[in-house]
Amino acid sequence: MIRLDKVRKVYPTRFGAKLVLDGISFELRKGERLGVLGRNGAGKSTMVRLISGAERPTSGTVERTMSVSWPLAFGGAFQYALTGQDNVKFISRIYGQNVERNLAFVQEFAELGPYLREPVRTYSSGMRARLAFAISMIIEFDCFLIDEIASVGDARFHARCNYELFEKRGDRAMVIISHDATYIRDHCNRYAVLEQGALSMFDDFDESYAFFSQSIGLATSTAGLSVRATGRAEALSALYHLAIADERFRVHVQQGDWARDRHDWAKAEAEYGKALALHPYERTYWAQLGHVLREQGRDSAAEICYRSACALGQPALDLQPFLEFVQARAHPHEPAVPIRSLERGATSAQPPSYPDLCILIRAVWGGSAIAAEEARSLLRAHATLDDLLEALLDDPRAQAIALSASAENDQPREFEDSALFIVDAIWLQRFCYIAMPAFDTSTVDSAALQEHWQTCLYTLIENHNGFEGWPKSHHKMADFARHARARSAIVYHENAHG
Amino acid sequence: MAIPVEQSGSFGRSLHVQLRVLRALFMREALTRYGRHNIGFLWLFVEPMTFTLGVTALWTATRAVHGSDLPIVAFALTGYSSVLLWRNMPGRCIGALWANLSLLYHRNIRVLDIFVARLLLEFGGATISFTVLSVIFISIGWLDPPLNLLEVVGGWLIIAWFGSVMAILLGALSHENELVDKLWHPASYLIFPLSGSAFMVDALPKLAQDVVLWIPMVHGVEIVREGYFGARARAHYDLGYVLPFCLVLSALALMQVRKVAARVVPE
Repeated sequence: MIRLDKVRKVYPTRFGAKLVLDGISFELRKGERLGVLGRNGAGKSTMVRLISGAERPTSGTVERTMSVSWPLAFGGAFQYALTGQDNVKFISRIYGQNVERNLAFVQEFAELGPYLREPVRTYSSGMRARLAFAISMIIEFDCFLIDEIASVGDARFHARCNYELFEKRGDRAMVIISHDATYIRDHCNRYAVLEQGALSMFDDFDESYAFFSQSIGLATSTAGLSVRATGRAEALSALYHLAIADERFRVHVQQGDWARDRHDWAKAEAEYGKALALHPYERTYWAQLGHVLREQGRDSAAEICYRSACALGQPALDLQPFLEFVQARAHPHEPAVPIRSLERGATSAQPPSYPDLCILIRAVWGGSAIAAEEARSLLRAHATLDDLLEALLDDPRAQAIALSASAENDQPREFEDSALFIVDAIWLQRFCYIAMPAFDTSTVDSAALQEHWQTCLYTLIENHNGFEGWPKSHHKMADFARHARARSAIVYHENAHG
Repeated sequence: MAIPVEQSGSFGRSLHVQLRVLRALFMREALTRYGRHNIGFLWLFVEPMTFTLGVTALWTATRAVHGSDLPIVAFALTGYSSVLLWRNMPGRCIGALWANLSLLYHRNIRVLDIFVARLLLEFGGATISFTVLSVIFISIGWLDPPLNLLEVVGGWLIIAWFGSVMAILLGALSHENELVDKLWHPASYLIFPLSGSAFMVDALPKLAQDVVLWIPMVHGVEIVREGYFGARARAHYDLGYVLPFCLVLSALALMQVRKVAARVVPE
């Protein structure tokens, strides 16, 4: 049994003491596999180190009446100058085991062949992972600590690891940490969420995951863009990485994936929609959302999603067949418009995506809702962002806004066909990042933006010469913004800094 | 399949585990440092031997003044071997913990074990080098056999004791303070001329004698020389000073290790 009693861990740092674990208590018996969920930096790895005994708690006790492994698949204990074989011998000696038998096992499991007699520093990361795992398996511990094992190696390696761990050693205790919540769901029988230094225990995965998602939702994550992009492709790449690093995004797409796997299309659509509301410029889940909509027979919306995914950089080859399918099913008599891909080059010459369309419509048509059919035909009709913006500005609805002072009174409305696409301040900030490379989005006052973002947008366009270099729409947009702002009662001041 | 890991109990078991861990660390350390290429493990003592031989040759060529009628070869051998012993030990232990942090994931490996394994290797190398060179010089007639072998061993062990505990203290301190590493290098060069290797205490003026006898290594080197040459060496040392000194230093070193071990964060 392993028993943690009021374990507290504080790290001294240059900027004061940092409390990582604040009085954690639990017991783990043989046969129990505890999966730990928690955000990055929540202290999961610290907890594992305390359980392993490699590190000591600041206060409280860690009691072990069974042998506990080092964190599994952990390659750090290798001496890189030594050969794989010497490393196996070392571990065997430390634990007083038969060297020859262990070597034979590692030889067979890690499949390193002659490389076993080469220095570990010459290994690829996959080879290191295989060696690390094989070494972990030669000692028969009562309790295994597993820290992010799912992130290394290929599918075959995973299958063999899972066999060794969960089939052959299913009777042992385990503590499993993974970013892959599916892995935890499938392999654990007890669950815990580590949040704000406190550990909450659950017997049911769904309960634990609900608690985890809630704790992530509460977290005020202000992911900022620190890199200034020079073109749309670079900007999208930066936004993509921002999205996949955002745990709220990951929780939504994870739940969307699970719903999709059990063919619960409505739930999947809702989760993907929430994810994309957070990160509208993440391309891969536009494609997933397209699939989910296609399954529900919502072909126009699916077409919008496929076109958006491709405009944001998803390979056209993958999506073309799906696009053709939904086009033919919904509109058998219309000519097929080929899918347009993102290319390197000026932002104005790139194909528009749905988030671009939503923001531009909000900017120049006010809060008018747009039907899926119209959004679809706009994306089909305009090959570039520049063309699209010009068309929107020439539309009577834009003229109406420019002449009215009440743009701010329009509440943001929902996309009729899919009730999730609420254009909010983050979208605008992201859009500025893409459309106005010279503009530093970190100077935007987000509270003001939330409150009345159209005025902000017009101010920004005027002050920063927004849409500069867009051949057809730059001057029209500048005129439009000037008129619209002059009629607006609200004055927006940019932040002083920056 | 593999044997389950035993959870230790009695003192005998613990001792067994301790020796097993030290042996494994020692082998790993030796392999890492000397590898399997060319002469491999022989470097363990060939390296200090070349040092000692070089210094012996240099001092012989320049007829270094050392203030006694002892043969220069004998003087250089006893002196420089001792320097290698106390000077290399801290050098190997400073920063040793950073380089081996990940080993702490194996619960039987403790901070002190990492230091001790390195010290055993260092002690072994210096001792074999000293012994082999002595045997060679004696057999070709450059050196007389030691008059009192046990006294040589005793002096040698005192130097090793001092070197080891200083190494552990500095090694543990260096984990949380990088200044230790920066300061040790100049310090070791500055102490070298004062350490009794390049002079006999007897040859110094009385005032200088009183000063250098505050330095613990001097006592060890003097004892080694008395063991080798007997009364001819006219050795000056005080066991009543050097032994308590090492004892206090040992206590400080172990306290520092305990402090670091409680706070160390494996990577």
